[in-house]
Amino acid sequence: MTYNKAIITFLLLSCALNTSCEKKRAAQPVAEQGAVRLTYWCASNQDEINFARELVDSWNADNSQIQVFLQPIPASQSSEEALLAAIAGKTTPDICSNMWPGAMDDFTSSGGLVRFDQFPDFIAYVQKRMPAALLESFRSPDGHYYQIPWKTNPIMVMYNKKMYREAGVTKPIRTYSEYLTASAKITRDVDGDGRIDQWMGYRDIRPIWWQRLFDYYTFYIAASGGETLFDGTDIAFENTASVKVFQFFSEIYRNGYYPLTTFQGDAFLAGQVATQFTGPWNITHVENFKAPGFEYGISPIPVPDDHTGLVYTYGDHKNISIFSTTKYPEAVWQFAKYLISAQADLRLLEICSQIPLRKNLTTDPLYHNYFQQNPMMMQFAEQAPYTRGVDGSSVLKEIFDAISQEYEACAVYNKRTPEEAINKATKRAQVIIAWSKR
Amino acid sequence: MRNTRPSVIKNSSRTGYLMSLPYVLYFCLFIGFPIVFSFILIFHKWNVVTPMQWIGLRNFSRLFQDIQFFISIRNTLVFLVIHIPLQIIVALMLALLLNRKIKLKGFFRALYFLPVVVSGVVITILWQQLYAYETGLLNLLMTKLGITKIPWLINTNWAMPSIAIMATWKNVGLYIVLFLVGLQGIPRYLYEAAEIDGARSLQQFFHITLPALNSTIVLVVILSTIGGFSLFIEPFVMTGGGPMNSTLSAMLYIYNQAFYFGHMGYAATLGFFFAFIILMVVLIQKKFVERKD
Repeated sequence: MTYNKAIITFLLLSCALNTSCEKKRAAQPVAEQGAVRLTYWCASNQDEINFARELVDSWNADNSQIQVFLQPIPASQSSEEALLAAIAGKTTPDICSNMWPGAMDDFTSSGGLVRFDQFPDFIAYVQKRMPAALLESFRSPDGHYYQIPWKTNPIMVMYNKKMYREAGVTKPIRTYSEYLTASAKITRDVDGDGRIDQWMGYRDIRPIWWQRLFDYYTFYIAASGGETLFDGTDIAFENTASVKVFQFFSEIYRNGYYPLTTFQGDAFLAGQVATQFTGPWNITHVENFKAPGFEYGISPIPVPDDHTGLVYTYGDHKNISIFSTTKYPEAVWQFAKYLISAQADLRLLEICSQIPLRKNLTTDPLYHNYFQQNPMMMQFAEQAPYTRGVDGSSVLKEIFDAISQEYEACAVYNKRTPEEAINKATKRAQVIIAWSKR
Repeated sequence: MRNTRPSVIKNSSRTGYLMSLPYVLYFCLFIGFPIVFSFILIFHKWNVVTPMQWIGLRNFSRLFQDIQFFISIRNTLVFLVIHIPLQIIVALMLALLLNRKIKLKGFFRALYFLPVVVSGVVITILWQQLYAYETGLLNLLMTKLGITKIPWLINTNWAMPSIAIMATWKNVGLYIVLFLVGLQGIPRYLYEAAEIDGARSLQQFFHITLPALNSTIVLVVILSTIGGFSLFIEPFVMTGGGPMNSTLSAMLYIYNQAFYFGHMGYAATLGFFFAFIILMVVLIQKKFVERKD
């Protein structure tokens, strides 16, 4: 009994001492504490983990006073869910580089993020890297910056050159009618068993809101010349561009140019589909797993036949934020600057095949060799300035869900006309917004 | 002597309390607290990260205007109507076969039970591939046999029955075991007497086997109903609730509201309302069963 009491007393005393030391350490200024330890969450795909590991190791070697501990975002359905759970549980890291702008409203309204504009050199430093207008588009409604725009993944068409050639398509497809004409030739029964076994493309038809980012929304941005779903705080997608996009996909599914099926493995690499809408990250995957002789190309997203002007697309932006649980915002800001440095951006290209949001990227001599060796990445880099992200709205997912329901009814199953479907989605979106404001 | 007895009782009460403490703690933490907290949520708007906002009965007014939620309840009931009879018929037929003197009886029993212990997600992905319209094995076989392909998961009329078939396949092993237990409890002499009286197999089945299995059937109905009301993994993985909301189950809809859209208060309201519907169904079932007994 005495022995047990001694153990319990020892444990309690060590806890008390430990807590008291922790409190003292937290209260001390950075310089007096010895090494500051920061936690950095990166995206959980292997390329980004490798990239972050390299950067963190190099940073830690050069900065003995600010040591960074790297951890991929905990497993979850999406990074946003993991981050929201971390905010709720107050277990957020000091910094994260996988912030989706569409979820920023939730993060900022919870007071979970640090304002970047509190750092005196923030604007000047970031504007050296990217155009002022682009930075402005990431300003929160309260007038502050809670994210550093870091990278973008423009969604473009990746196509199988051999299948294009066999269908007599000699140049990259530019318009809806060119795409549909090619679809009619490419979609066919190749082995003669009476079943179609080759299609123009494939999209997941399940009514899952984020799937629409890569079909409807990408095409809407292209068709509308760079518009997004909102105009300020009002819904703005009930227009001709939306109708044309729904019409286009409706035509595709009505004619069977996309299968209503699910594939095992990568249908594009298996030569079952001729096109896919994807970002630069996919180049590494295709290069690693393509069969010998597999040729592919990249082209902009098709637009309506009467479209004039530049072709915009959806840029799957991922940004950097500092969480308000950090005890060392200044130290984190120093590390954030390192993450967006010119050299780090080069490694981002080389390791992850993702496009840093950096002005003059394609003309900067630092990146010249990389683009010369990776001409396809050059196409994504050239598209990068003409990308749009998503609107920062707390009900964005629900609005995408409304669109997804109508997309399914109109485009996939042809149960509604495009006009009716867009009108219904708009009405539901308005109800959602009205409800969220109450 | 007078003091010893109360002290023993006191000691044994203390031991009793201590023994039940783990469960009481478990109950308070994982059942009691969530129920009370969900009830509080009903009157709030909350997305987990921002402070809760009191909105009175507004979640209820939204619920009664929410067509999608009522569609999801209808879909769940449709699933139950298909799944429960199918489950009973298939499980009973297989149990009758496995109750005979056949070779490899143990192997077949284990084989039918295997899907019960395999992860629901794995089975769902497997069936998603089997059901695939253009490339799935089922349609491939049907085409080879000259039968028209079935749009298993992409037609509003076929999608929910397809999910019910899959759920039956997954759970049938469990119900086979229950029926086997029931069948082995039927006295052999009843069949011998019936045979002497000249009763044929079918007559024996309807007049001896089926009445004797009544309590097992009731158990299967109750278990299938409870399982059916919690239909989630299958539509979540296979169809996302489509096509055209035809496989959107109530649980999936509540999950979407809570974890996709962050409407914890509204999801709690839907949850309580759905629990009330389950209670009603169970009460009706209970009344029906009691009358039968």
